[in-house]
Amino acid sequence: MTVVVNTRDDFTLTNFSRVSYGGEPVRIGAVARRAMTASAGPGPAVGSPGKETVRPARWATPGADFGGGYLDAAVVRGILFARLASLVSGHAGVRPSVAEQVAALLDGPMPAVPLDGQVSAGEAVPMAHVLAGLRRDDLHAGEEEALLGGSPCSAALAAGAAVGARHRLGYAEGICALSIEGFRAPLTAYDEAVDGLWGDPHETAALRGLRRYLDGAGTAERRFHQAPVSYRIIPRVLGQAHRAVAAVEKAATVSLRSVTSNVVYVGDELGRPAGRPVRSGGYLNGMAYPALNALSAAWADLALVAERQVTALNTAETSGLPVNLVAPGAPGNGTYAYGWAANGYVEEARAAATPALLPGAVEEPRADVLSPTFGAYRRERRAAECLDGVLAILAIVSSQALFVTGRNPAQPLLPVLSFVRSVFPPIDGTGDRDLSADGGRLQQALGTAALSGRFAT
Amino acid sequence: MTVVVNSRDDFTLENYRRVATGGESVAIGPQARTTMAEGRANFLHLLESDRTQFIYGVTSSFGPRAKLTIPPDEQRAHARAFGFRRGNWARGFGGGYLDERVVRGIVFARLANFVAGNSKARPVVAERLAALLDGPLPPVPLDGEVGAGEVLPMAHVMHGLRRGDLEEGEANPLMNGSPVSAALAADTALQAGHRLDHAEQIFALSVEAFGAPLDAYDAVLDDLWGDEDETSALVALRRYLAGASPGGRQSAVPASYQVLGRVLGQAHRAVTGVEEAARVSLRSVTDNPVYVPPDDGHPLGRAFSTGGFHNAMAYPALNALAAAWADLTLLAQRHVTALGAAAASAPLAPDPGSAAGAATGLEPVLSGLVEEARAAAMPTLLPAAVNDAQDDVSSPVFSAYRRQASAAECFDGALAVLAAEASQALLHAGRQPALPLQDLLAAVRAIFPPVEGNPRDIGPRGGDLAAALARSAVTGSAPFGTSR
Repeated sequence: MTVVVNTRDDFTLTNFSRVSYGGEPVRIGAVARRAMTASAGPGPAVGSPGKETVRPARWATPGADFGGGYLDAAVVRGILFARLASLVSGHAGVRPSVAEQVAALLDGPMPAVPLDGQVSAGEAVPMAHVLAGLRRDDLHAGEEEALLGGSPCSAALAAGAAVGARHRLGYAEGICALSIEGFRAPLTAYDEAVDGLWGDPHETAALRGLRRYLDGAGTAERRFHQAPVSYRIIPRVLGQAHRAVAAVEKAATVSLRSVTSNVVYVGDELGRPAGRPVRSGGYLNGMAYPALNALSAAWADLALVAERQVTALNTAETSGLPVNLVAPGAPGNGTYAYGWAANGYVEEARAAATPALLPGAVEEPRADVLSPTFGAYRRERRAAECLDGVLAILAIVSSQALFVTGRNPAQPLLPVLSFVRSVFPPIDGTGDRDLSADGGRLQQALGTAALSGRFAT
Repeated sequence: MTVVVNSRDDFTLENYRRVATGGESVAIGPQARTTMAEGRANFLHLLESDRTQFIYGVTSSFGPRAKLTIPPDEQRAHARAFGFRRGNWARGFGGGYLDERVVRGIVFARLANFVAGNSKARPVVAERLAALLDGPLPPVPLDGEVGAGEVLPMAHVMHGLRRGDLEEGEANPLMNGSPVSAALAADTALQAGHRLDHAEQIFALSVEAFGAPLDAYDAVLDDLWGDEDETSALVALRRYLAGASPGGRQSAVPASYQVLGRVLGQAHRAVTGVEEAARVSLRSVTDNPVYVPPDDGHPLGRAFSTGGFHNAMAYPALNALAAAWADLTLLAQRHVTALGAAAASAPLAPDPGSAAGAATGLEPVLSGLVEEARAAAMPTLLPAAVNDAQDDVSSPVFSAYRRQASAAECFDGALAVLAAEASQALLHAGRQPALPLQDLLAAVRAIFPPVEGNPRDIGPRGGDLAAALARSAVTGSAPFGTSR
């Protein structure tokens, strides 16, 4: 399939996913070509700003490696897709042929875009890497700045995070529900009546998510008194994550269709469709990095609560379950020390939740405010990875709690349990197992599910 | 005036303001009294149906001893002892105190639990609670208030409440739940909206002082960027810059002027976030255990435990606001630097009107304010400490509130410096700002007259500017205390 873009309205999260993760090509539609032709006019871009206001474009040295690893190719594809939003409406003053060249880059391999050294006023530095394969010798005045300017990287990084975050939240709810079953926590804390009492749409979404997994759960063998705080507040903490995911989705949705070129061309008093240049700060995306910061914090908090549930499950005095969840008559230490391993992930996640603020550095007097999106993106990736580690441990311990007590969870959780056990079978005391390697595989499986959206299906 | 509360819908931000800041009393309305009386009667039917059923704090002990049951014949005495013991739980100390207006707000927010009958309490308990607002309220320390839920600060707030005649189920709704988070969010939200308005005016004054091109705030950007919060920021900037002359402006402008709409948009988003957290939290029923009235499946109603005592939306919203203030503080510092550089390199106006210098001398203050604001923007996460195996997650809202307040204080300082520098630059250049900004400029100069020579009192005067801004944020008056 091919994604055809005609207007800014075609720059949706769905189309982003098709291009970035689905690998689909992009074609510039007839409507877009007409708009760009009308505004670009013959020859140099109409109303090109005075030379003194154009900062010199800096193209990255091919092969330059500033370290820190590289963006995933899927995200680079997303940046190219997002770049086109500013072009198709005609406001960037770029000819259709240039937009078509940008779209054509999606038909080949993606360039390497380093993660380090990408903080600048605007996003010209990473864009120079992204567009390294673009023919530049026939660009008209203003077109180079239109290609390097604006904030398409922020849009794509927010969109990439949003897609993964929605999937991650889905399996987090499934694993928390499995933990509730493993612990035999009373179900009233997730009762439908709570939706209206709290009155928050995100907490309601979390409560519904938990109830969906817990539908039909038995009430007979549950503890008669209230569960530890970490079980009762999980809908509120998941609600916080819902709020953060919704915010990053909104940031992505808005940013993908924004026209953020440093100079936009709009109609003037003489009726010319692109007669008036407007120079703005579109190159600084002010919504993506705060949304990513909030998402990192939500993952860190969720990791901490998951760790507390691991501790509760592993502590016989709290859970009433066998010591260390060792199977009856089996040798070994069961899930002992998995809680310790969770501590490390929690601390790393909390470190990653340090927010990316506007950088303190100043490039030069005119470039006195720089974009922090790359920093925010990398921290969110790290916080998410650590959360996956804790969730993997919670899933392992919950599965084990059910195993040693010979119980099954509620019907909707059986595929979740099956998924967990397909990667990490219960510890039954037979044979030697590398519990680190098995746990790592489950963490990786969760990370893969965040990208694919396929978890326990 | 008196705020009459009849249902949860009466727990609005506006009513919160009337009670907390305006000092108005609260009366429990007839609808609320009827609902509470019915709720109490229904709850007693439920309790009498089986006094061995688990109802946290009623038929059970509390906290880590929740699994201990209280014999039926001891449950009333338990309720009274429970209340007294809770009263003696006030353990936090140091770090200063909450402003009394916030304590008033907590008492107001607490009542949301009662009016719909979910608290299980008699109307007289709610009336007694509301009556606390007619006298002085106890000091609530800022340190040592982090625990599971909000019983630690609530024990201070309820210090003066008569508890000796409490009945079964009436102690917990006084202490449990999360009314503190609701009030801290509401107090912050009310100030934040005012502070953002001040910021927009002072940044607009800076645009005029620098002579920055106006196209970075052009109306076409509203649609091209397509974000409601950035549109709000752009609209505000255009309102204050209405009538500004487009001629004679600088051709080369730093990024800090071009990105103003985007960074202010971020602040609009953060303010909206904390307002939303306050609105939702003020009317939430967060008591633990909560009583749900009878329905078809439960003819006696139900009383069950939830995690309502943990407010998970207030502290992230406060974190986001602190970060927004920190970013704006940095932006203000960049503006001051740009104004200083421009003034130093520009020829003196033919008739500057005075012997004013190019800068006020306040500029060095800003580096410290920026760093403090950035430190305050470090997010408050769920606390790492564990009280006990049952109370294994605590609420971080007090810390988030304090950090936001610290970031806001730094931002007020930065805005004060920017206002003084913009005033100075305009005088130095012999220019007037756009008409909507002229009252603001006069208010700035009334407190911080343009600097001539090397006066010794610029520090105190700068402090006066910052203090005036902070007062205006609380009262909602125009920046620097002049009337709206």
